[in-house]
Amino acid sequence: MILDWETFLTFVPLLVQGAVTTIELTVLVTIFGFLIALPVALARNSASRAARAFARSFIFFFRGAPILAVLFLLYYGLPQIPGIKDSILWHLIARPMPIAVLALSLNSAGFLAEIFALALRNVAVGDIEAARAFGFSRFQTFLRFALPGAARLCMRAYGNELVFVLKGTAAVNFITITDLIGAANQIYFNTFDPITPLLVAGAIYLVFALLIVTAVRYMERRLSPWLFLKAALKEAKA
Amino acid sequence: MDWSLFLPGATGWGDELAAGLWLTLRLGLASVLIGTGLGLLAALGELSRFRALSHGLAAYNVVMRSVPELLVILLLYYGLSFLIMALLRPFGIDSFIEVSPFWAGTLALSLIHAAYASEVFRGAFQAIPKGQVEAGLAFGMSRFLVFRRIKWPVAFRLSLGALANLLMTTFKNTPLVSAIGLQDLIRAAGDAGQNTKLYFQFFIASLVIYLAIAALMQIFQMRAETNLYAHLRRGPSA
Repeated sequence: MILDWETFLTFVPLLVQGAVTTIELTVLVTIFGFLIALPVALARNSASRAARAFARSFIFFFRGAPILAVLFLLYYGLPQIPGIKDSILWHLIARPMPIAVLALSLNSAGFLAEIFALALRNVAVGDIEAARAFGFSRFQTFLRFALPGAARLCMRAYGNELVFVLKGTAAVNFITITDLIGAANQIYFNTFDPITPLLVAGAIYLVFALLIVTAVRYMERRLSPWLFLKAALKEAKA
Repeated sequence: MDWSLFLPGATGWGDELAAGLWLTLRLGLASVLIGTGLGLLAALGELSRFRALSHGLAAYNVVMRSVPELLVILLLYYGLSFLIMALLRPFGIDSFIEVSPFWAGTLALSLIHAAYASEVFRGAFQAIPKGQVEAGLAFGMSRFLVFRRIKWPVAFRLSLGALANLLMTTFKNTPLVSAIGLQDLIRAAGDAGQNTKLYFQFFIASLVIYLAIAALMQIFQMRAETNLYAHLRRGPSA
Protein backbone atom coordinates (compact mmCIF):
# COMPACT_ATOMS: atom_id res chain seq x y z
CA MET A 1 0.00 0.00 0.00
CA ILE A 2 2.91 2.32 0.64
CA LEU A 3 3.29 4.32 -2.49
CA ASP A 4 6.40 4.35 -4.62
CA TRP A 5 8.43 7.50 -4.91
CA GLU A 6 7.97 7.86 -8.66
CA THR A 7 4.21 8.20 -8.29
CA PHE A 8 4.77 10.43 -5.31
CA LEU A 9 6.89 12.85 -7.35
CA THR A 10 3.93 13.61 -9.62
CA PHE A 11 2.13 15.02 -6.60
CA VAL A 12 4.95 17.33 -5.54
CA PRO A 13 3.36 20.41 -7.18
CA LEU A 14 0.20 19.82 -5.14
CA LEU A 15 2.23 19.62 -1.93
CA VAL A 16 4.14 22.77 -2.83
CA GLN A 17 0.84 24.59 -3.41
CA GLY A 18 -0.43 23.40 -0.04
CA ALA A 19 2.79 24.47 1.65
CA VAL A 20 2.51 27.92 0.08
CA THR A 21 -1.04 28.28 1.44
CA THR A 22 0.17 27.25 4.90
CA ILE A 23 3.03 29.78 4.78
CA GLU A 24 0.70 32.49 3.49
CA LEU A 25 -1.75 31.89 6.33
CA THR A 26 1.00 31.76 8.95
CA VAL A 27 2.53 35.06 7.79
CA LEU A 28 -0.82 36.88 7.54
CA VAL A 29 -1.99 35.61 10.92
CA THR A 30 1.35 36.59 12.48
CA ILE A 31 0.94 40.15 11.16
CA PHE A 32 -2.76 40.63 11.94
CA GLY A 33 -2.51 38.81 15.25
CA PHE A 34 0.21 41.24 16.33
CA LEU A 35 -1.78 44.27 15.14
CA ILE A 36 -4.87 43.17 17.09
CA ALA A 37 -2.96 42.04 20.18
CA LEU A 38 -0.94 45.21 20.81
CA PRO A 39 -3.91 47.57 21.42
CA VAL A 40 -5.61 44.89 23.53
CA ALA A 41 -2.44 44.51 25.61
CA LEU A 42 -2.31 48.28 26.13
CA ALA A 43 -5.98 48.26 27.14
CA ARG A 44 -5.23 45.39 29.53
CA ASN A 45 -2.69 47.58 31.35
CA SER A 46 -4.64 50.81 30.98
CA ALA A 47 -5.79 52.98 33.88
CA SER A 48 -9.34 52.93 32.55
CA ARG A 49 -11.54 50.32 34.17
CA ALA A 50 -13.71 49.91 31.05
CA ALA A 51 -10.67 49.34 28.81
CA ARG A 52 -9.30 46.76 31.24
CA ALA A 53 -12.64 44.97 31.39
CA PHE A 54 -12.85 44.88 27.59
CA ALA A 55 -9.32 43.51 27.26
CA ARG A 56 -9.91 40.89 29.94
CA SER A 57 -13.08 39.66 28.22
CA PHE A 58 -11.37 39.64 24.82
CA ILE A 59 -8.50 37.55 26.18
CA PHE A 60 -10.81 35.23 28.14
CA PHE A 61 -13.05 34.68 25.12
CA PHE A 62 -10.39 33.94 22.53
CA ARG A 63 -8.18 31.91 24.86
CA GLY A 64 -11.08 29.75 26.00
CA ALA A 65 -12.73 29.21 22.61
CA PRO A 66 -11.59 26.37 20.32
CA ILE A 67 -10.24 27.69 17.00
CA LEU A 68 -12.78 25.64 15.05
CA ALA A 69 -15.70 27.19 16.94
CA VAL A 70 -14.52 30.73 16.17
CA LEU A 71 -13.80 29.79 12.57
CA PHE A 72 -17.26 28.25 12.06
CA LEU A 73 -18.98 31.09 13.89
CA LEU A 74 -17.50 33.60 11.43
CA TYR A 75 -17.68 31.40 8.33
CA TYR A 76 -21.26 30.16 8.76
CA GLY A 77 -22.62 32.72 11.20
CA LEU A 78 -21.64 36.05 9.64
CA PRO A 79 -23.77 35.70 6.48
CA GLN A 80 -26.76 35.39 8.82
CA ILE A 81 -26.46 39.01 9.97
CA PRO A 82 -29.31 40.91 8.31
CA GLY A 83 -28.22 43.32 5.60
CA ILE A 84 -24.64 42.11 5.49
CA LYS A 85 -25.00 40.67 2.00
CA ASP A 86 -25.72 44.16 0.62
CA SER A 87 -22.76 45.82 2.30
CA ILE A 88 -19.28 46.32 0.87
CA LEU A 89 -17.93 44.15 3.66
CA TRP A 90 -19.56 41.14 2.02
CA HIS A 91 -17.05 41.09 -0.84
CA LEU A 92 -14.32 40.66 1.74
CA ILE A 93 -15.90 37.94 3.82
CA ALA A 94 -17.67 35.93 1.16
CA ARG A 95 -14.44 34.01 0.57
CA PRO A 96 -12.96 31.48 3.01
CA MET A 97 -9.42 32.91 3.06
CA PRO A 98 -10.15 36.32 4.69
CA ILE A 99 -12.46 34.63 7.18
CA ALA A 100 -9.74 32.13 8.06
CA VAL A 101 -7.16 34.90 8.54
CA LEU A 102 -9.59 36.88 10.72
CA ALA A 103 -10.57 33.91 12.91
CA LEU A 104 -7.00 32.67 13.36
CA SER A 105 -5.71 36.20 14.04
CA LEU A 106 -8.33 36.81 16.72
CA ASN A 107 -7.49 33.48 18.31
CA SER A 108 -3.76 34.21 18.31
CA ALA A 109 -4.36 37.78 19.52
CA GLY A 110 -6.05 36.42 22.64
CA PHE A 111 -2.85 34.63 23.63
CA LEU A 112 -0.50 37.36 22.38
CA ALA A 113 -2.30 40.16 24.23
CA GLU A 114 -1.75 38.39 27.54
CA ILE A 115 1.93 37.76 26.70
CA PHE A 116 2.50 41.38 25.63
CA ALA A 117 0.60 42.84 28.61
CA LEU A 118 2.64 40.78 31.05
CA ALA A 119 5.92 41.78 29.37
CA LEU A 120 4.97 45.47 29.31
CA ARG A 121 4.11 45.36 33.02
CA ASN A 122 7.47 43.81 33.80
CA VAL A 123 9.68 46.33 32.03
CA ALA A 124 12.05 47.73 34.66
CA VAL A 125 10.38 50.75 36.29
CA GLY A 126 13.77 52.45 36.61
CA ASP A 127 14.22 52.44 32.82
CA ILE A 128 10.90 54.20 32.31
CA GLU A 129 11.53 56.71 35.09
CA ALA A 130 14.99 57.47 33.73
CA ALA A 131 13.60 58.06 30.24
CA ARG A 132 10.92 60.38 31.58
CA ALA A 133 13.50 62.22 33.69
CA PHE A 134 15.61 62.77 30.59
CA GLY A 135 12.65 64.53 29.03
CA PHE A 136 11.36 61.88 26.63
CA SER A 137 7.65 62.32 25.98
CA ARG A 138 5.32 59.56 27.11
CA PHE A 139 4.96 58.34 23.54
CA GLN A 140 8.73 58.38 22.94
CA THR A 141 9.27 56.55 26.22
CA PHE A 142 6.80 53.90 25.14
CA LEU A 143 8.26 53.52 21.67
CA ARG A 144 11.95 53.59 22.57
CA PHE A 145 12.04 52.07 26.06
CA ALA A 146 8.90 50.19 27.05
CA LEU A 147 8.38 48.40 23.73
CA PRO A 148 11.97 47.17 23.23
CA GLY A 149 12.15 46.25 26.91
CA ALA A 150 8.97 44.22 26.64
CA ALA A 151 10.15 42.61 23.39
CA ARG A 152 13.22 41.30 25.24
CA LEU A 153 11.06 39.81 27.95
CA CYS A 154 8.46 38.10 25.78
CA MET A 155 10.55 36.81 22.86
CA ARG A 156 10.51 33.17 23.97
CA ALA A 157 6.77 33.11 24.69
CA TYR A 158 6.19 34.90 21.40
CA GLY A 159 8.14 32.22 19.55
CA ASN A 160 6.04 29.47 21.15
CA GLU A 161 2.88 31.30 20.12
CA LEU A 162 4.13 31.57 16.52
CA VAL A 163 4.52 27.78 16.41
CA PHE A 164 0.92 27.58 17.64
CA VAL A 165 -0.09 29.90 14.80
CA LEU A 166 1.58 27.56 12.32
CA LYS A 167 -0.19 24.53 13.80
CA GLY A 168 -3.49 26.40 14.09
CA THR A 169 -3.62 27.06 10.34
CA ALA A 170 -4.54 23.38 9.89
CA ALA A 171 -8.09 24.30 10.96
CA VAL A 172 -8.72 25.89 7.54
CA ASN A 173 -9.16 22.39 6.13
CA PHE A 174 -12.63 22.46 7.63
CA ILE A 175 -13.68 25.44 5.50
CA THR A 176 -12.61 24.17 2.07
CA ILE A 177 -9.11 25.71 1.96
CA THR A 178 -6.43 23.26 0.79
CA ASP A 179 -3.30 23.68 2.88
CA LEU A 180 -0.49 21.18 3.44
CA ILE A 181 -2.77 18.67 5.17
CA GLY A 182 -5.43 19.19 2.51
CA ALA A 183 -2.84 18.45 -0.18
CA ALA A 184 -1.76 15.31 1.68
CA ASN A 185 -5.41 14.24 1.85
CA GLN A 186 -5.85 14.77 -1.90
CA ILE A 187 -2.82 12.61 -2.60
CA TYR A 188 -4.39 9.96 -0.36
CA PHE A 189 -7.64 10.04 -2.36
CA ASN A 190 -5.68 9.60 -5.59
CA THR A 191 -3.29 6.89 -4.45
CA PHE A 192 -5.06 5.15 -1.55
CA ASP A 193 -1.95 5.65 0.56
CA PRO A 194 -2.78 7.88 3.53
CA ILE A 195 0.46 7.44 5.44
CA THR A 196 3.26 8.58 3.14
CA PRO A 197 1.70 11.95 2.19
CA LEU A 198 0.85 12.73 5.83
CA LEU A 199 4.37 11.82 6.96
CA VAL A 200 5.87 14.07 4.28
CA ALA A 201 3.51 16.90 5.26
CA GLY A 202 4.48 16.37 8.90
CA ALA A 203 8.17 16.62 8.01
CA ILE A 204 7.50 19.91 6.19
CA TYR A 205 5.63 21.29 9.23
CA LEU A 206 8.56 20.26 11.40
CA VAL A 207 10.97 22.17 9.19
CA PHE A 208 8.73 25.27 9.29
CA ALA A 209 8.47 25.10 13.09
CA LEU A 210 12.24 24.73 13.46
CA LEU A 211 12.71 27.75 11.16
CA ILE A 212 10.40 29.81 13.38
CA VAL A 213 12.20 28.71 16.54
CA THR A 214 15.61 29.48 15.02
CA ALA A 215 14.49 32.92 13.85
CA VAL A 216 13.11 33.75 17.30
CA ARG A 217 16.34 32.56 18.99
CA TYR A 218 18.29 34.82 16.65
CA MET A 219 16.03 37.77 17.51
CA GLU A 220 16.45 37.01 21.20
CA ARG A 221 20.24 37.15 20.85
CA ARG A 222 20.03 40.38 18.90
CA LEU A 223 17.75 42.00 21.48
CA SER A 224 19.65 41.02 24.60
CA PRO A 225 23.22 40.10 23.58
CA TRP A 226 24.55 40.50 27.13
CA LEU A 227 22.56 37.48 28.26
CA PHE A 228 24.46 35.34 25.76
CA LEU A 229 27.89 36.80 26.48
CA LYS A 230 29.08 33.74 28.39
CA ALA A 231 28.07 31.38 25.61
CA ALA A 232 29.67 33.63 23.01
CA LEU A 233 32.94 33.83 24.96
CA LYS A 234 32.99 30.07 25.34
CA GLU A 235 32.50 29.69 21.60
CA ALA A 236 35.25 32.19 20.87
CA LYS A 237 37.70 30.33 23.11
CA ALA A 238 36.91 26.92 21.67
CA MET B 1 -34.82 34.01 19.57
CA ASP B 2 -36.59 30.69 19.90
CA TRP B 3 -35.20 29.02 23.00
CA SER B 4 -37.07 25.77 22.34
CA LEU B 5 -34.38 25.02 19.74
CA PHE B 6 -32.06 24.11 22.60
CA LEU B 7 -34.54 21.75 24.26
CA PRO B 8 -34.35 17.98 23.73
CA GLY B 9 -36.94 16.32 21.53
CA ALA B 10 -37.92 16.04 17.91
CA THR B 11 -37.90 19.77 17.15
CA GLY B 12 -35.14 20.86 19.52
CA TRP B 13 -31.43 20.14 19.27
CA GLY B 14 -30.81 19.80 23.01
CA ASP B 15 -30.26 16.03 22.94
CA GLU B 16 -27.86 16.20 19.97
CA LEU B 17 -25.89 18.96 21.67
CA ALA B 18 -25.84 17.03 24.96
CA ALA B 19 -24.57 13.91 23.15
CA GLY B 20 -21.87 16.02 21.51
CA LEU B 21 -20.87 17.53 24.83
CA TRP B 22 -20.73 14.06 26.40
CA LEU B 23 -18.36 12.89 23.67
CA THR B 24 -16.23 16.01 24.07
CA LEU B 25 -15.99 15.47 27.83
CA ARG B 26 -15.16 11.76 27.54
CA LEU B 27 -12.59 12.33 24.82
CA GLY B 28 -11.03 15.30 26.60
CA LEU B 29 -10.84 13.63 30.01
CA ALA B 30 -9.48 10.34 28.66
CA SER B 31 -6.81 12.20 26.67
CA VAL B 32 -5.81 14.38 29.63
CA LEU B 33 -5.55 11.41 32.01
CA ILE B 34 -3.60 9.17 29.63
CA GLY B 35 -1.54 12.09 28.35
CA THR B 36 -0.57 13.30 31.81
CA GLY B 37 0.45 9.78 32.86
CA LEU B 38 2.52 9.27 29.71
CA GLY B 39 3.99 12.75 30.14
CA LEU B 40 5.15 11.92 33.66
CA LEU B 41 6.79 8.70 32.46
CA ALA B 42 8.40 10.55 29.55
CA ALA B 43 9.76 13.22 31.90
CA LEU B 44 11.31 10.56 34.13
CA GLY B 45 12.75 8.92 31.02
CA GLU B 46 14.18 12.21 29.83
CA LEU B 47 15.83 12.80 33.20
CA SER B 48 17.23 9.26 33.38
CA ARG B 49 20.87 8.34 32.83
CA PHE B 50 20.09 6.51 29.59
CA ARG B 51 21.32 8.91 26.95
CA ALA B 52 19.54 7.26 24.02
CA LEU B 53 16.23 7.26 25.88
CA SER B 54 16.42 10.89 26.93
CA HIS B 55 17.51 12.10 23.48
CA GLY B 56 14.80 10.04 21.82
CA LEU B 57 12.12 11.45 24.10
CA ALA B 58 13.39 15.01 23.59
CA ALA B 59 13.16 14.53 19.82
CA TYR B 60 9.67 13.10 20.22
CA ASN B 61 8.61 16.22 22.14
CA VAL B 62 9.96 18.55 19.47
CA VAL B 63 8.16 16.67 16.68
CA MET B 64 4.85 16.39 18.55
CA ARG B 65 4.87 20.06 19.45
CA SER B 66 5.65 21.18 15.89
CA VAL B 67 3.13 19.19 13.90
CA PRO B 68 -0.57 20.22 13.72
CA GLU B 69 -2.90 18.21 15.93
CA LEU B 70 -5.13 17.44 12.95
CA LEU B 71 -2.24 15.74 11.17
CA VAL B 72 -1.48 13.54 14.18
CA ILE B 73 -5.16 12.58 14.46
CA LEU B 74 -5.42 11.65 10.77
CA LEU B 75 -2.10 9.82 10.77
CA LEU B 76 -3.03 7.69 13.78
CA TYR B 77 -6.53 6.97 12.52
CA TYR B 78 -5.35 5.78 9.11
CA GLY B 79 -1.96 4.59 10.24
CA LEU B 80 -3.04 2.40 13.14
CA SER B 81 -5.31 0.21 11.04
CA PHE B 82 -2.60 -0.12 8.37
CA LEU B 83 -0.09 -1.02 11.05
CA ILE B 84 -2.33 -3.59 12.73
CA MET B 85 -3.22 -5.17 9.39
CA ALA B 86 0.46 -5.32 8.40
CA LEU B 87 1.32 -6.93 11.74
CA LEU B 88 -1.44 -9.53 11.42
CA ARG B 89 -0.67 -10.46 7.82
CA PRO B 90 2.23 -12.82 8.66
CA PHE B 91 -0.18 -14.78 10.86
CA GLY B 92 -2.50 -15.39 7.94
CA ILE B 93 -5.10 -12.87 9.05
CA ASP B 94 -5.93 -10.77 6.02
CA SER B 95 -9.16 -9.10 7.00
CA PHE B 96 -9.80 -5.36 6.95
CA ILE B 97 -9.43 -3.86 10.38
CA GLU B 98 -10.68 -0.41 11.31
CA VAL B 99 -9.57 1.32 14.47
CA SER B 100 -12.36 2.94 16.45
CA PRO B 101 -12.28 6.68 15.72
CA PHE B 102 -12.81 7.42 19.42
CA TRP B 103 -9.70 5.52 20.51
CA ALA B 104 -7.62 6.75 17.59
CA GLY B 105 -8.60 10.31 18.52
CA THR B 106 -7.97 9.71 22.21
CA LEU B 107 -4.57 8.20 21.48
CA ALA B 108 -3.62 11.13 19.20
CA LEU B 109 -4.67 13.78 21.70
CA SER B 110 -3.00 11.83 24.54
CA LEU B 111 0.30 11.60 22.68
CA ILE B 112 0.22 15.35 21.98
CA HIS B 113 -0.76 16.13 25.57
CA ALA B 114 2.09 13.90 26.80
CA ALA B 115 4.67 15.85 24.80
CA TYR B 116 3.67 19.11 26.48
CA ALA B 117 3.12 17.55 29.92
CA SER B 118 6.56 15.93 29.91
CA GLU B 119 8.17 19.35 29.37
CA VAL B 120 6.21 20.68 32.33
CA PHE B 121 7.15 17.77 34.61
CA ARG B 122 10.79 17.84 33.49
CA GLY B 123 11.04 21.53 34.40
CA ALA B 124 9.37 20.88 37.74
CA PHE B 125 11.68 17.98 38.65
CA GLN B 126 14.71 20.05 37.69
CA ALA B 127 13.50 22.90 39.89
CA ILE B 128 13.45 20.77 43.05
CA PRO B 129 16.18 22.01 45.42
CA LYS B 130 18.96 19.38 45.46
CA GLY B 131 19.33 19.73 49.23
CA GLN B 132 15.85 18.30 49.83
CA VAL B 133 16.63 15.16 47.87
CA GLU B 134 20.05 14.77 49.49
CA ALA B 135 18.51 15.23 52.93
CA GLY B 136 16.04 12.46 52.19
CA LEU B 137 18.80 10.10 51.05
CA ALA B 138 20.91 11.03 54.09
CA PHE B 139 18.04 10.02 56.33
CA GLY B 140 18.18 6.60 54.76
CA MET B 141 15.14 6.85 52.53
CA SER B 142 15.13 4.56 49.49
CA ARG B 143 15.13 6.21 46.07
CA PHE B 144 11.48 5.31 45.65
CA LEU B 145 10.56 6.81 49.02
CA VAL B 146 12.44 10.01 48.13
CA PHE B 147 10.44 10.16 44.94
CA ARG B 148 7.12 9.50 46.64
CA ARG B 149 7.59 11.80 49.65
CA ILE B 150 9.80 14.59 48.32
CA LYS B 151 10.22 14.79 44.55
CA TRP B 152 6.66 14.06 43.49
CA PRO B 153 4.79 16.37 45.93
CA VAL B 154 7.09 19.30 45.17
CA ALA B 155 7.08 18.70 41.41
CA PHE B 156 3.30 18.32 41.37
CA ARG B 157 2.82 21.68 43.09
CA LEU B 158 5.22 23.33 40.68
CA SER B 159 3.49 21.91 37.62
CA LEU B 160 -0.13 22.34 38.62
CA GLY B 161 -0.70 25.71 36.93
CA ALA B 162 0.85 24.63 33.64
CA LEU B 163 -1.04 21.31 33.74
CA ALA B 164 -4.34 23.14 34.13
CA ASN B 165 -3.51 25.23 31.06
CA LEU B 166 -2.66 22.06 29.14
CA LEU B 167 -5.99 20.55 30.10
CA MET B 168 -7.76 23.50 28.50
CA THR B 169 -5.57 23.23 25.40
CA THR B 170 -6.44 19.56 24.97
CA PHE B 171 -10.15 20.25 25.44
CA LYS B 172 -9.92 22.89 22.76
CA ASN B 173 -8.27 20.36 20.44
CA THR B 174 -11.14 17.87 20.73
CA PRO B 175 -13.31 19.43 17.95
CA LEU B 176 -10.64 18.35 15.43
CA VAL B 177 -11.80 14.74 15.79
CA SER B 178 -14.83 15.55 13.65
CA ALA B 179 -12.34 15.05 10.78
CA ILE B 180 -12.42 11.30 11.55
CA GLY B 181 -16.19 11.18 11.84
CA LEU B 182 -16.80 11.76 15.54
CA GLN B 183 -19.80 13.84 16.63
CA ASP B 184 -18.42 16.24 19.20
CA LEU B 185 -20.07 19.37 20.58
CA ILE B 186 -18.95 21.68 17.75
CA ARG B 187 -19.97 19.15 15.10
CA ALA B 188 -23.40 18.79 16.75
CA ALA B 189 -23.77 22.57 16.77
CA GLY B 190 -22.81 22.61 13.09
CA ASP B 191 -25.42 19.96 12.24
CA ALA B 192 -28.06 21.88 14.15
CA GLY B 193 -27.04 25.06 12.35
CA GLN B 194 -27.21 23.38 8.96
CA ASN B 195 -30.73 22.09 9.57
CA THR B 196 -32.15 25.28 11.03
CA LYS B 197 -29.98 27.83 9.17
CA LEU B 198 -29.28 29.31 12.58
CA TYR B 199 -25.53 28.71 12.68
CA PHE B 200 -24.82 31.81 14.70
CA GLN B 201 -27.03 30.83 17.63
CA PHE B 202 -25.76 27.27 17.82
CA PHE B 203 -22.07 28.13 17.57
CA ILE B 204 -22.49 30.84 20.20
CA ALA B 205 -24.19 28.26 22.44
CA SER B 206 -21.28 25.83 22.01
CA LEU B 207 -18.81 28.64 22.70
CA VAL B 208 -20.64 29.50 25.93
CA ILE B 209 -20.24 25.88 27.04
CA TYR B 210 -16.51 25.93 26.28
CA LEU B 211 -16.07 29.24 28.10
CA ALA B 212 -17.98 27.84 31.08
CA ILE B 213 -15.57 24.89 31.18
CA ALA B 214 -12.66 27.35 30.99
CA ALA B 215 -14.08 29.47 33.81
CA LEU B 216 -14.68 26.40 35.99
CA MET B 217 -11.11 25.28 35.38
CA GLN B 218 -9.77 28.67 36.42
CA ILE B 219 -11.77 28.63 39.65
CA PHE B 220 -10.64 25.09 40.38
CA GLN B 221 -7.04 26.04 39.64
CA MET B 222 -7.15 29.05 41.98
CA ARG B 223 -8.70 26.95 44.75
CA ALA B 224 -6.14 24.20 44.32
CA GLU B 225 -3.29 26.67 44.34
CA THR B 226 -4.45 28.40 47.52
CA ASN B 227 -4.74 25.01 49.20
CA LEU B 228 -1.46 23.61 47.93
CA TYR B 229 0.51 26.77 48.63
CA ALA B 230 -1.01 27.40 52.07
CA HIS B 231 2.44 27.16 53.63
CA LEU B 232 3.74 29.94 51.40
CA ARG B 233 1.05 32.47 52.28
CA ARG B 234 2.36 35.46 54.11
CA GLY B 235 1.12 36.56 57.50
CA PRO B 236 -2.03 35.41 59.20
CA SER B 237 -4.22 33.65 56.67
CA ALA B 238 -6.93 35.82 55.25
